[in-house]
Amino acid sequence: MKLEHTALVRAPRTRVWKLVTDVPAAARCVPGVAAVTPSGTGKYKGSLLVQLGPVRLVLDGDVALTATDEAAGKASVRADAKDSRLGGTVRATMDLTLVDKGEDTELRITSDVQIAGRIGEFGQPVIQRKADQLMTQFAECLARTLA
Amino acid sequence: MTYDYHEPETVAEALALLALHGEDAHLVAGATAFTLLWRQGLLRPGHVIGLRRIAALGGITSTEGGLVIGATVTHRAIERAVEVGRYCPALTRTFASVATVRVRNQATLGGNLAHADPAQDPPPMLIALGAEVVATSAAGERTIPVDELFVDVFTTSLRADEILTAVRCPALAPGTRATYLKFLPRTADDYATVSVAATLRLADDGHVADVRVALGACGPTPVRARSVEAALRGARPDARHIADAAARVDADIAPFDDVRGSATYKRDMARVWTERALTELVS
Repeated sequence: MKLEHTALVRAPRTRVWKLVTDVPAAARCVPGVAAVTPSGTGKYKGSLLVQLGPVRLVLDGDVALTATDEAAGKASVRADAKDSRLGGTVRATMDLTLVDKGEDTELRITSDVQIAGRIGEFGQPVIQRKADQLMTQFAECLARTLA
Repeated sequence: MTYDYHEPETVAEALALLALHGEDAHLVAGATAFTLLWRQGLLRPGHVIGLRRIAALGGITSTEGGLVIGATVTHRAIERAVEVGRYCPALTRTFASVATVRVRNQATLGGNLAHADPAQDPPPMLIALGAEVVATSAAGERTIPVDELFVDVFTTSLRADEILTAVRCPALAPGTRATYLKFLPRTADDYATVSVAATLRLADDGHVADVRVALGACGPTPVRARSVEAALRGARPDARHIADAAARVDADIAPFDDVRGSATYKRDMARVWTERALTELVS
């Protein structure tokens, strides 16, 4: 499933870059993320709680910063997580691009998400909606953090 | 994979169990929605609290102020209740149009609302009637208008410590007409591709005195079509006027693509079926 999100963050690109490539700091802006701890160079372990009514997914897994190019404002993140209680995995590759917009920065995130197991039962519209909510809150939090 | 099943006999006992087990508890009445989610493996509660033995949650009462329906009354019982037919025949037809008789014999009103699936039938009709739910917690009771109950897919504004105990439908002003239309292009027992509920009252001079329109399956929650209502209120509706008002439904809905149709198709069908519902009510 390919997802595209764009958000305007009211801060200059250098500051947004510093925050989004600091995985533990950026993760604090993802609603539902519990502890994120380093597990190697550019690698982290973390946990994400996603709630949809009575259904609670706890996605435990690894996040890695796989590529960064500050001059071009591009970074790539890979996440592999599973919910061991319900059974299901989520694999996501996210390409982030930061574009100067005067004093602000446009954050573009292109995600390729593969979902297997029970989590897929929700169907694409619901998953897309949940991802949209996460991304919107993420961008708002980045803006607040940098304000 | 098992859970402990509890059958409290009073609301107070059910609330105490809910407080004791917290997030590990799940409330059921007919358990039709729960069984599907459990079999899909999406729910794994340690404790299931069945509400069907609580006598206070059953029964339908007709009052001067309208109709009160207990949370554990089944769809079938509502469909067959004389009081409901007397209150509003369209409400009877709404419940009669849900799924199949086997489902209606088991599924309850409270379960239907608490499950918050956006494609279900009773919510739009209850919104159009101006109904409210009673939410009971250890702190007491509060009421929530049905059009403020739904927050997102499968998500309501009920708090974790609350039980939906009843639905109150207000008395309708004399001359109020109501309808529920369900577009079912696939099978008769399917969820609707779009559904429209509406209530309308014309003043003696032929102007629209009161109108409420709500749609199902047109986004993450059932939705009230306030733009359509605003375009009609105070007007003397003719065919042209109704068509124009129905076209405004586009601003009120946010459908998504699924097996029952693309978002674009659902937008078209929402307009068509809103127009049909309104035409029926003014004819």
